[in-house]
Amino acid sequence: MLADLASGFQLILDPVVIGVALIGLLAGLFVGALPGLTATMAVAVLAPFTFIMEPLIGLPFLLGVYKGAIYAGSIPAILINTPGTAAAAATAADGNAMARSGRAREALEISLFASVIADFLATIVLVLVAAPLAAVAIKVGSAEFTLLYALALTMVAAVSGDDMLKGLIAAALGVMIALVGLDPMSGAQRYTFGLPVLLGGISLIPLLIGMFALSEIMLRAEDDLRTPQRSPKMPGDARETGVSLRGFRGLLPTILRSTGIGTSLGSLPGLGAEISCWVSYGLARRASATPERFGKGAPEGVAAAEAGNNAVCPAALIPMTVFGIPGDTITAVLLGAFMAQGLTPGPLLFSRDAETVYALFAFLFVSNVLLLGVGIFAIRYLQHIVLIPANLLYPVVAAFCFAGAYAVNNAAFDLVIMLAGGIAGYAMRKTGMPIPPLVIGMLLAPGLENSLRQALTVSRGSFDIFVTRPGALALLTVLCLLIALFIWRGLQRIHQAPSKGKTS
Amino acid sequence: MTLKKLLLATTLSAGAAVPGLAQEDFPTRQIEFVTPYPPGGSHSLHAGIITTAAEPHFGVSLVSVIRAGGGGAVGATEVAQADPDGYTLLFGDPTINSLRPQVEDLAYDIDDFVPVARINYSPAIFVARADSPFSTLEEMVTYAEENPGDLTYSSDNLNGWTYTVFELLKARSGADMTGVEYGGGGPAVARLLGGETMAYAGDISVVGEHIESGDLVPLCVTDTERMEALPEVPTCPEAGYDVVFQFWRGAMAPAGTPPEVIAELSDSFEALMEDEGFLRLIGRIGSSIQFADHEEFAELWASEVEAMAAVAEMTGAAE
Repeated sequence: MLADLASGFQLILDPVVIGVALIGLLAGLFVGALPGLTATMAVAVLAPFTFIMEPLIGLPFLLGVYKGAIYAGSIPAILINTPGTAAAAATAADGNAMARSGRAREALEISLFASVIADFLATIVLVLVAAPLAAVAIKVGSAEFTLLYALALTMVAAVSGDDMLKGLIAAALGVMIALVGLDPMSGAQRYTFGLPVLLGGISLIPLLIGMFALSEIMLRAEDDLRTPQRSPKMPGDARETGVSLRGFRGLLPTILRSTGIGTSLGSLPGLGAEISCWVSYGLARRASATPERFGKGAPEGVAAAEAGNNAVCPAALIPMTVFGIPGDTITAVLLGAFMAQGLTPGPLLFSRDAETVYALFAFLFVSNVLLLGVGIFAIRYLQHIVLIPANLLYPVVAAFCFAGAYAVNNAAFDLVIMLAGGIAGYAMRKTGMPIPPLVIGMLLAPGLENSLRQALTVSRGSFDIFVTRPGALALLTVLCLLIALFIWRGLQRIHQAPSKGKTS
Repeated sequence: MTLKKLLLATTLSAGAAVPGLAQEDFPTRQIEFVTPYPPGGSHSLHAGIITTAAEPHFGVSLVSVIRAGGGGAVGATEVAQADPDGYTLLFGDPTINSLRPQVEDLAYDIDDFVPVARINYSPAIFVARADSPFSTLEEMVTYAEENPGDLTYSSDNLNGWTYTVFELLKARSGADMTGVEYGGGGPAVARLLGGETMAYAGDISVVGEHIESGDLVPLCVTDTERMEALPEVPTCPEAGYDVVFQFWRGAMAPAGTPPEVIAELSDSFEALMEDEGFLRLIGRIGSSIQFADHEEFAELWASEVEAMAAVAEMTGAAE
């Protein structure tokens, strides 16, 4: 295997390949950083052009786009509180809080280093244990998926901020939004009000753009009206310091944990980077000695979210290469690009095209080094975006909101969704209702519903399936313990609250 | 809109008067080729290849537009409501064009479309896991009869192609089997391989690799002739049950598109289907071409729509 990998490096360390990969990476960075232009879209649009290229030119190009876009989603999340991709929504919480307190460069660097380390480690997992890991992942059935989704849903508790009730309301709203469209199993229309545009449901990305970006613009405009001519708030000097070695060493446990989460979830078809970033974020908060700092500029929050979503990229290639089963839409597009090159992913790929496959694995390592270089270079300039006066920056961001919301599906109705999301986001922020639980609810509801119904169809309506399968039983136990813990902590807080009131 | 129609009518009548002129006047701008499914499936893969190679044969570029949602209903509705001028085409299939409008309450009808050209078609292959208690269609049906409801199978989407072939088998054999819809070929095969279900029926691009590796056993193909790629696998009628349903991929235009434009588009597709570069790419994704021009396709489609009405009645899917 190491010999295969070594000859892979020989094939890939070619100036043309590196050049093409670099172009792909830059294109990906650009697309990922613009809200609404998603990594899936970029890869889907560019894939047909690679059909006529050599496999070891076209595929590195596409993989470059993929990696660049997934990483770059964090850039606008940190700088202007607008996730460039859905997978960077969790990064916005602490990343933007850091940028506002004058630590934009530090946040950007943490995001880059966490992404690169997570991606690197997950690639090692892909190369070394793809086949055994995939063999385990394929045994995961609907019952286990149901419980995994339910477990992920408990992350709502970690991102609800101070007010659990408001968090739960927001999560319920997210679930209800996700219900709109066609019932996946009976085909019945749900909450479509007879409108054909609602048959496909409410698109997540336009809604996210509205909730995060447009509401941000509205809040800034409101601030500006109240206190006109306010210079951009920049405590400290413009020459910000990056992350210190010591500070970064403290983040390593978080990065390792999040990489583990991202790799495990990524290797299961269906659970993508969007979900992994929230689970990593939530667990980082739970593991932290000072959870109250989360959402207010905790470096661990940025590191967890970014390691969590980037580790998914190599991991999602595990079921794709081993079984030919794509884990999410983006790997589905990559699967097509592989096939168009005559490389049919599946059980026979490794024996039939070992040389090309190991060259691509080698490329995944090389691309990490490239991303690191490009990222460090880009951050030197990007950090200054926060210094642009708001009255210049936000009109441009507003234009991107509209362009991005439209670009996702080329649908005019998505602009309506984006605007509605903006108004709803503004109202939620004004009333202190957290937005992340809504996003989590919306992301998880379809998967939870589908796998629950699939599990119950397989068991012909019997809930026994959740206790008779060992994997499901283990997950169910963890879920029950978690919920018990929440209730216990909640009761504790209720008991403590009155006594605290007396002493203060 | 009216002006546009007037202009179109004028150019068309002028074209009729001067032979060859119509062909020069259509198309004058890019044509949108709408795939109603998410990126990554076999449909969008075909669309990517078609639109990449199309320009020399159409004179303008063919732009691949992906409008997923509602299992294809959203994209189909949009094309059905588009201007019938030949500049918006749907990459259709038997599910969205023949079956679902008959069994579901959708925002478009079967006759909102006119056929332009069929690109290809393929049968579904019934497969079972290698360690399952049956290895022929007959044995599978017997197993289902002896253990009513215990036989679980994967399918992609409700009223989709992989779903309907099982409905047909159940209707023809009277056996009781339990279907689970997983939303796509990828997860459907994953759960079959993982042991959650026992059977599936799908395209060779989805199951071929697993048949070759020996993880899945082919039972029969839903065609009247055996497949070239799998000559030892019987057709379903040969295996005992008359389950025939081919999945075609083809271009459809909104109803009302002028016949001259349809003919022009059909000719362009025909020229594209002979393009060597195009055929090489199609071969790489394990697909092939069975072209039918707009007239032949119209006949095939009309008889399929009739057959689907019978299917709907037989399986009780009709409302």
